[in-house]
Amino acid sequence: MPEKKTLLQNTFGKTVLLLGNEAIVRGLLEAGISVVTTYPGTPASEIGDSVSGIARESGIYMEYSVNEMVAVEVAAGAANCGIRSLVAMKHVGLNVAADALMTLAYIGVRGGLVLVTADDPECYSSQNEQDNRYYALLSNLPCLEPSDPQEAKQMVLDAVELSEKLELPVLLRTTTRVSHTRGPVSYGELKKPNLRGEFTRDPKRFLMVPAYSRPKHDVLLRQAAKAQEISENSLFNRVTKEGHEIGIISSGSAYNYAFEAANLLGIDASFLKLGMTHPFPKRLVANFISNFEKIIVVEELEPYLELQTRAAAQENHLNAEIFGKMNNQCFPRAGELTTRLVAQGLSLITAKKVPVDFERIDEAYSAAVKGLASRPPILCAGCPHRASFYVIKRVGGDRATYTDDIGCYALGIAPPLSVGDIMICMGGSVGLAQGVSRVTDRATIATLGDSTFFHAAIPGLVNAVYNGSHIVVAVLDNSATAMTGHQPHPGTGLTGMQSPAEKVLIEKVAEGCGVKYVKVISPFKTKEAATVLKQALAQPGPSVVVFRAPCTLMDLRERRRKGLTVKPSKITDKCTNCMTCIRMLGCPAIIVEEGKVRIDDNACTACGLCISTCPFGAIEGSCAE
Amino acid sequence: MKQFNIVLAGVGGQGTLLAAEIIGTAAVRDGLNVRVSEIHGMAQRGGAVTSNVRMGDDVLSSMIIDGGADVLLGFEPLETIRGLKCASQKTLVIMSSEHIPPSELAARNVPYPSDEEIRANIRLFTDKVIVLKAAALAKEAGNNLAQNSVLLGALAAVEGFPVKMESLLEALRELVPQRHVDVNVRAFILGTKTAKQQLNHV
Repeated sequence: MPEKKTLLQNTFGKTVLLLGNEAIVRGLLEAGISVVTTYPGTPASEIGDSVSGIARESGIYMEYSVNEMVAVEVAAGAANCGIRSLVAMKHVGLNVAADALMTLAYIGVRGGLVLVTADDPECYSSQNEQDNRYYALLSNLPCLEPSDPQEAKQMVLDAVELSEKLELPVLLRTTTRVSHTRGPVSYGELKKPNLRGEFTRDPKRFLMVPAYSRPKHDVLLRQAAKAQEISENSLFNRVTKEGHEIGIISSGSAYNYAFEAANLLGIDASFLKLGMTHPFPKRLVANFISNFEKIIVVEELEPYLELQTRAAAQENHLNAEIFGKMNNQCFPRAGELTTRLVAQGLSLITAKKVPVDFERIDEAYSAAVKGLASRPPILCAGCPHRASFYVIKRVGGDRATYTDDIGCYALGIAPPLSVGDIMICMGGSVGLAQGVSRVTDRATIATLGDSTFFHAAIPGLVNAVYNGSHIVVAVLDNSATAMTGHQPHPGTGLTGMQSPAEKVLIEKVAEGCGVKYVKVISPFKTKEAATVLKQALAQPGPSVVVFRAPCTLMDLRERRRKGLTVKPSKITDKCTNCMTCIRMLGCPAIIVEEGKVRIDDNACTACGLCISTCPFGAIEGSCAE
Repeated sequence: MKQFNIVLAGVGGQGTLLAAEIIGTAAVRDGLNVRVSEIHGMAQRGGAVTSNVRMGDDVLSSMIIDGGADVLLGFEPLETIRGLKCASQKTLVIMSSEHIPPSELAARNVPYPSDEEIRANIRLFTDKVIVLKAAALAKEAGNNLAQNSVLLGALAAVEGFPVKMESLLEALRELVPQRHVDVNVRAFILGTKTAKQQLNHV
């Protein structure tokens, strides 16, 4: 990450290498956006993190909200006091926030509000790859789609203006390849933030009871019609290259692939690049279509542009043949696009030969990687979750059902720990567990993290208490939103402004919800933890066990800062190479060389878990037991 | 400017992301059009990590097409093999030969592939290979964590690499934490020296 100062430099015209997400932050600084809210989630996380690093210095208010819906509500409150606001989240976060957003579209905003939704084609770090452009269609809100960091910055500036002009929130939809691409970004002037807002009463506008909602729906549709005109004339919707052979319509990172693929194949194509993809500029598109016999729509995930391109063609009685993924599968609908996939699709349509022998590459590649050991993401050496899962597995065994949740601990599903049977969404473990335990006679253990607990698990816990569900909720509390970059949450005692706050304790929340059996334990004290977990399983109603130990990455950083050295654990002569540690733990610091177990001194964090699992007492070092 | 595409393939924690950012920052300093792709989040936790750096006037996407790499900078042998999808006859492979065995090997009780096997797999794509011990050279420079700087130094020695060496060193000084700058500069220079000796024979 560039130094904080880099984003705050007031150097008009300077060009800096920025990550797409950092470019969005630079955009909000140049737009005078003054309230930023978020819940961390890949690929959106660096937006909040970059703002958190400079909020105090720049005079912005920033918070890591407890979840995406609260984030939208906070931003909407501020925006309706006239303050420019931005809220950022990953694509699935918008599902959580959708309830707020759909009606916020009715009341609108006074100060500009930009909602960044970062989609994740290919599920690099997500549970699904939904296409959030459909939220624009569903909510009638304008949507902008950048292709690179420079455009992402510019679109924040335009989105906030557009938002104020239409008095509607505006969606800025990125994907992983925009959010996580670095590119040159040219700086404009910084604008001073303003946190002095004013709320003016206007019940018919702001109180969405049925009598007031009905007319507001009409208002929304009128504003959407105005947005339509803006889209028809937007500079983000333009022909970027004139050609004669064929017309290509594209947006976002798919545009980059399409442009390069057409170059590769030597296709003389015209390109209509769409940056404002809702409302769809149907007159502009119809005009473009009318010049060609063949139109190709290149887009990632759903055929969102294609559907509307077809509608525009039909409305204008245009007979051009339209290629995409609806009737003819020229491009895949699932997964991320690549220049290769687009080139192959274009080749199919135009009969131009791809000048790269992909078959030969594929053949050589499958020969090279045949039997190659995979290297999936795993729990780090010293991760407290490994200890928690070791304990949970020892107590619950193969008989129990384990409902799982979103976070680092989802990596516990990998062998040899293999804890995790069903997982869908944030906080879902608690509700799923209740359904499973209601209709089976198996012990049911929900595992979820600390940040996830605050995000979405509390209503589920209240539900379990009130309905008397027989479940154990194991909160794996590592004092951070670890997977996304150790962001703070209400249990950490730190805010997004990086100021101290009183911790909200998970155990107190659980007791407050009416849970009768609540215990906090250290996962590294494996015997004690196992005893507690057994007791929890024996309770008639729901119980909560908090496995508390800090994320080892944060802990190591802290130890290094204090100048403390880590003394790695050692394997002694007593080792019989029984492989228990290998079979039970899957710790990356324990390796086998020439049939012998060895500890990698560079990787070992001296957590002591292997010491307490070795049946021969053959590992030495400091142990928590 | 003609395209120049670099794949950096390694294991989470080896500093591939920082190395890619240093190249990109240096390219911007030299006024080049550049794109750097990264993968964050879940994939970072000790897993395989790949970054792409692309330079050139007509570059739009941050992703290199299969077979399109000019240089494959392999931080670890198995990950170098996994990165070969972007390689072809034109590709120069610069590989650090030090092993980081994936847990799967221990779990399945399978040995790490031999140097010969690894070489043979690379030769399915290209004969242009140079091999060095990045962590050992980094240790010689003062800290084995500076292996990414060793590989950056090696990259700087490659003919046709469009970024000026002094821009790369400036970007390194800017982005590496202050107290580690000297070690990393030494590691960089060792990398350049070692690569130059071998490049004469490629």
